[in-house]
Parts: sequence; structure tokens; C-alpha cells
Amino acid sequence: MNTLQVSNGQAYLLKDIPVVKKDIFFGDIIAGLNKGMKISALFPADRRDKSALICVLADPASSSFRLSKCVFERGKLSFESLANAFPQAAGLENELAEDSGYVPLNHPWPRPVRKQDIMPDGSTYNFYKLLGDEVHEVAVGPIHAGVIEPGHFRFQCHGEYIFNLEISLGYQKRGVEELMISSGPGRRIVLAESAAGDTVMGHALANAGVVEALSGANVPLRAQVIRAMAEELERIAMHLSGLGGVANDIGFAIAASSYGRLRTLMINSLGALSGSRFGRGLTAYGGVNFDFDRDVINIILANLETVSRDVAAINKCLFSSGGSMQRFEKTGIVPKHAARDLAFSGLTARACGIETDTRIDFPYGAYKYYPVSLMTMPEGDVFARTKLRTLEIEESLRFLFEQIETVPGGELKSKCGPMAGSSGVVSVVEGWRGEILHIALTDEKGELSQYKIKDPSFNNWYALSMAVRNAAISDFPLCNKSFDLSYAGHDL
Amino acid sequence: MALMNIFEGLASLFFVLLFAPLFAGLVNKQKAMMTGRVGAPVWQPYYDLFKLFRKETIRAKSASFISGLSPAINFAAVIIAASMLPVCNAHPLISFKGDIILFAYILGTARFFQILAAMDIGSSFEGMGASREASFAIFVEPIFFFTLGSIAFITGFTSISDIYRSIAMDRMSYTVFIVVCSISFFILAVTECSRMPVDDPNTHLELTMIHEVMILDNSGQDLFFYQYSGNIKLLIYIVLETAFYYPLGAGLTAVGVTIFALNILFVSFVLAGVETVTSRFKLKDMPHYLLFAAAIGILNLLIFTFNK
Repeated sequence: MNTLQVSNGQAYLLKDIPVVKKDIFFGDIIAGLNKGMKISALFPADRRDKSALICVLADPASSSFRLSKCVFERGKLSFESLANAFPQAAGLENELAEDSGYVPLNHPWPRPVRKQDIMPDGSTYNFYKLLGDEVHEVAVGPIHAGVIEPGHFRFQCHGEYIFNLEISLGYQKRGVEELMISSGPGRRIVLAESAAGDTVMGHALANAGVVEALSGANVPLRAQVIRAMAEELERIAMHLSGLGGVANDIGFAIAASSYGRLRTLMINSLGALSGSRFGRGLTAYGGVNFDFDRDVINIILANLETVSRDVAAINKCLFSSGGSMQRFEKTGIVPKHAARDLAFSGLTARACGIETDTRIDFPYGAYKYYPVSLMTMPEGDVFARTKLRTLEIEESLRFLFEQIETVPGGELKSKCGPMAGSSGVVSVVEGWRGEILHIALTDEKGELSQYKIKDPSFNNWYALSMAVRNAAISDFPLCNKSFDLSYAGHDL
Repeated sequence: MALMNIFEGLASLFFVLLFAPLFAGLVNKQKAMMTGRVGAPVWQPYYDLFKLFRKETIRAKSASFISGLSPAINFAAVIIAASMLPVCNAHPLISFKGDIILFAYILGTARFFQILAAMDIGSSFEGMGASREASFAIFVEPIFFFTLGSIAFITGFTSISDIYRSIAMDRMSYTVFIVVCSISFFILAVTECSRMPVDDPNTHLELTMIHEVMILDNSGQDLFFYQYSGNIKLLIYIVLETAFYYPLGAGLTAVGVTIFALNILFVSFVLAGVETVTSRFKLKDMPHYLLFAAAIGILNLLIFTFNK
């Protein structure tokens, strides 16, 4: 293969990426995908001149990424779509068409990604529609009855039975990638932290990984461990919040409010560490801004003990209740082959029995030295996703209890200089939802020339569509909550 | 005496109208406390109703006269139903032979108009809610007639107040029969009033609601009438539920009224408890649950009749 092989968070020179002809470029991608790699990103190498495409393949087997580049002839930005053989490419190709004017030929499902009804060629997009006497269409959102993010869901139903769900997003598009390039270095970490408000640590660490690699900064071990602990705190907090949401959606009031109470303890722990309950401002380029002193350790330790004791009790209460198990089991099943074909990541994929975890596949930071265990559930239903969240909470608690008293000494922050010119880096982080990917390229002066973010939600929204196929429409909210996907992370 | 009866009837009706929101508030407050929250004050439903009453009523452009009519019909229907209640064994305002049928179908009329109004606007949500409400109504009706109707069949009385007056817990077999009826009736009450585990009154998930989704497009005074009718309906069913236990001492004396009030409080506690620890059923399993209640009623009647 004519590709450049780099590891997670390793800076490379742009000229090292092999530039190949179009047929070899796509031939390599197909060969890679056939070997079980995943297509992580497909984007123009430059924001202004979009005629060169870079493809990033993720190869968990060798813990590395394969990069290749292809220069298209000006005005002939078309290629044969990969999505017919590899559905996981469909979303990326649609994004490429919408943002950069490429035309994927014979694409199985051209649709807008972040625009509402407008196709890249200016025509109106028509939702998939069932025709017939007894079928009906239910349109939900973008404004919902609860205080949640905006998204539009279009159901094709027969009575209470869902044939198809089409999800239309983009209402939250703020242009994070563009802002990342145009804003100064001081604002980038703030931007990353607000890419998806519930994954502050995940996006901040991915962004820090990119910038630190480009600057050649060495993050002290102490800072790496504090970061990993903050990330695990966020994971526990968000899993608790999600479990509370699932319990609330089935009307199981006692579990819902108990999970909510425990979540407060976890975000308060992050607050004790960084002053922000969501961990904003903790991450700095080159390290962390706040130290783990004795007072903080004591607060967090007390909270962790309460949480680990109470969570076990509530889990028992939730999973031993016949009523909730009846709602969870066999509801919203995502088939394993769909999870593989559509390259779902994180929790969603693991609940279908797919072994994927960025902390293990592409180890970074403290996880290189202090590994975590991989856990999967085979069923792929709401039960699997809910149960897996409780298991991941246990694993995160174990990690935290192990590390909290033995945080290595040393500096909190090392100096992080200017970024190297004409370079690039791929940084992935396992956020609580799944794989968060940040890619940066710099120009000759060391300024950002391209920045790509991929939140796990970008792929995983399709999981929701798959899960509710043939399900009852009244189970939709429960399925939706069991995935707990981000609108902001998708829309950016 | 006739004048006294009318006075008792009016007092009962005012009791229901006045305290209906309080009962809803009580259940919510207890539910909040059971889940470790402070919760809204018990008077919150009154504030909400007052707020809604003063708000502007906005109707959908596609709405016809049905949408305007339905809230009033609902309200009138529950008031008529409430006038037939034997609150604390007092004489109801409306009472005649066969009023049990009027009671069942005046509430049926209210439901009919609400379903019409839900479909009137043409929103797919409300249509879905209407379809659910109509399907579950089919399963609910037998429960009513195999509880209250069974007692009417056995005793020969056909007026609600007479039926309840005839209940006496002197014989063991009859007591068991009444207790089983009251259990069946509780399931009916929970279903009719859209409470857990059939419907979740606190959910914001428009796709899972049954009753709430039908009034999504209503606002202001229309919504006031629906909400208030809902509160009254809940208290009506709770009074009917507690009325099974009037022989334990409820009556129009100081002690009797206290026992009656304690009865109501106890049911609110049970309702809150049930809502705290149960999860909602799958929508497709709901008919099983309702048929189960009806089946209990049928078996209960059969066993009692053949055991005499």
C-alpha cells in the first residue's frame, strides 16, 4: 500500500504522505477496508484549494493510521462512491459533497449532512417516504417537548410499528472547524471544550493531543494521569446521567432520581479539581492547569466511595425489576453486522459485541502505562447498552481508585511552543461516547490550514435508525436515550 | 329531607371541584419525597390552573369547532359524573335507577370528544394519541362493568350511591369479593387517569404519551379545562375506589369524615408509591394488563355467584 503509517498523536511532515493517482488512491482504501480497517476521515488537504483529498484509515490491528493523498484535476472533483460496498463511507462522502463540492458518483443515498433540505447541487432533498393507505408519517422536532438539543426525526410508520426512521441534523452547526483555524492559539482549547458540551474532557484532550504533537511538547506524566482521571470522572458522570435518563424514560422514578443524585457527586468532583463541574479549563497545552492536592483528593475519594457503594445498589434495583427488564430486553436491537458495516464506535459498537476501544486500540497518554479493560455485550439491545454503561462505570471507578493515591509527582505543565510548519497529526481519544478524532494540518508558517473533528455521534446516529427499524414507535425515546448521542458533536 | 339531600349533594360536588387539584398535588409531592427530592408545593396544581386560565388561548389554524367544543364538553361531563359520587356516603346530587350507565357513558362521551378534538387538528402526534386512547378504552370498559357492574348484578341496585350503600363487609366471602373488586377498580382508575404504569403523567416524550399527547396543541383556557377535568376525573375514581371501604366507618360524622379523609390520603400514598417503583409497560403489553384486570373481575363474579 502506498500509505504513510503514523501512530496516535504522532506528528508527520505533509510531504511524507504519498501522493497517488485516483485509481490507486481508492484502490488502497478498498484494500484497507477489506482488511478490516475503518475509514476515519476523508477531507480536502486545504480549506481554500479543495482539489487534493486526504484519506485516513484506522488500523486497530497495528494501532496505526494510514494516510494517503490524491490530487484531483480542477473541475473534475468526482469519484466512484465507496458507499455501495462499504456503507461506513456514506456519511463522509456526503459531507465531502456538501462542504467541498465533490461528487460521489452512484452514491446509494445522497443526502444533506448538516443542511436541512438542500442538496449540494441546490435541489431540494426529499425524505424517504412510504406510500400506501395505512402507512403514516410522523415528523418529530427539531423543537422537542423537553429541553433537549434540536434534531429532526422522520418516521414512516404502520400503526405503532416503525418501518423507517430518517434523521436530519445540522441545527446546531456553529462552524467549529472553521473557527478552530481562524482563532488564535489561546481560544482553541476553549473551542474544543465546547464542540460537544457533554464531552468537554474528550474533545479537549483530542485537541491538546494534536497541538502538543505539532509543537513537540512533552506532557509530564503527572499531567497525563490527571487528564486520564478527569476523563474517567467525565465518563462516570455522563454514564450516570444516561442511566438516569433511561430510567426516567421508562418512568422508573426512584432509579432516575438516584442516578441523578450520584451524577451530581461526580461532576462536583470534576468541579473540585478544576473549578468547573464539566472540567472546562482543566486542560492546557503541555499539561493541566490545576493540581491534585490533598484537599481535592479527599473530596474526590469521598465522592467515589459514595458513588461506588450507591451505584451498585441502584443497579441491582434497576436490573432486578421485571418491569424495566421487560422494557430493556430485545428492544432496539442493532445487528452486529450493521455495527461493523457502518463503523459504529464506542459504547454503541461494544454493546453489539464489537471489540473496539481507543484507549486499548490506539493507546494515548496515561492509558499507555495504566491500561483499562475492554468490555463488550453481545445482545445489541437497550439492555446491552444500559448494562454496559454500568460495567464501564465500575471499570472507571477501578481506574480512579487505583490512580488517585499514587499520582506521579513532577511538573504540571511543560512548555508548549509554536506548531511545526507543513506538518500534520491524527489524534484520537476515547470519549465516553466513543472515538473522538481530531486532525490538524499546518501550512509553511506553522498556522493551521485544515482542522477536522469527528465525534462518535457522526457514525452512531445511524445506529439509532437501525435500532428502531421494526420497533414500536413508543419505544423510540428509550432507544434514543440508550445511545445518548450528541447533536452538537455531529453538527459541529 | 329532600332539601337536606340536595345540600349534601352540592357539598359533595364542591368538595370534588375544590380538592381535585390538591389531590394531584399531594400525589406529586409524595412521589417527589419518595425519590429524595423536595418537589413542588402541594398547591402547585392550583397555581398552574390559575396561570392557564389567565393565558391567551391559541388554536391551530386547521382546528374546527370541535376543538373549541371539546374542552367544555369534557369539563361538563366530569362535573356531571362528579355529581353522582357518593362522597363520604352523602346523598349525591344526581341519583336514579341505572345511573351507573350514565356515569360510564358520560365519561365515554368526554373521551369521544377529546379523541375527535385530537384528530381535528391533523397533527400526527395527536392522531397517534387518539388511536391509543381509543384502543385502550375498549379494554377499560369491561373492567368497570365487572367491578361496579358485578355488585349491581348481585345486589340488584343500579344507582352508584345505592350500590356503594349496599356494600357490607359482614360476610367473609362478600368481603373478599369486594376487596378483589377494589383491586380491579384500582387498575381501572390508574388507566383512566393516565397514571403509571399505563401512562406517565410527567413524561416529556411525545412519542410515548397516551393522554398527554392528545392535548399537546392546546393552550390557555382550553388547556385549563382539560387539566382541571383531568384532576377532577382522578379524584372521582379515587373516591369510587375508597368508597368500597366505607363500611369500615366512613360517614357524615366527625369520625366518619376523618376516616374518609384518611382513606383518600392512604390511596394517594399508594398511588405515589406505585409510581415511584414501577416502570411503564411496553405499549403492546398494555392490553394484557387491562385484560388481566377484567379477567380478575369476571373470575371474582363467577366464584362469588357459584359459591353462594
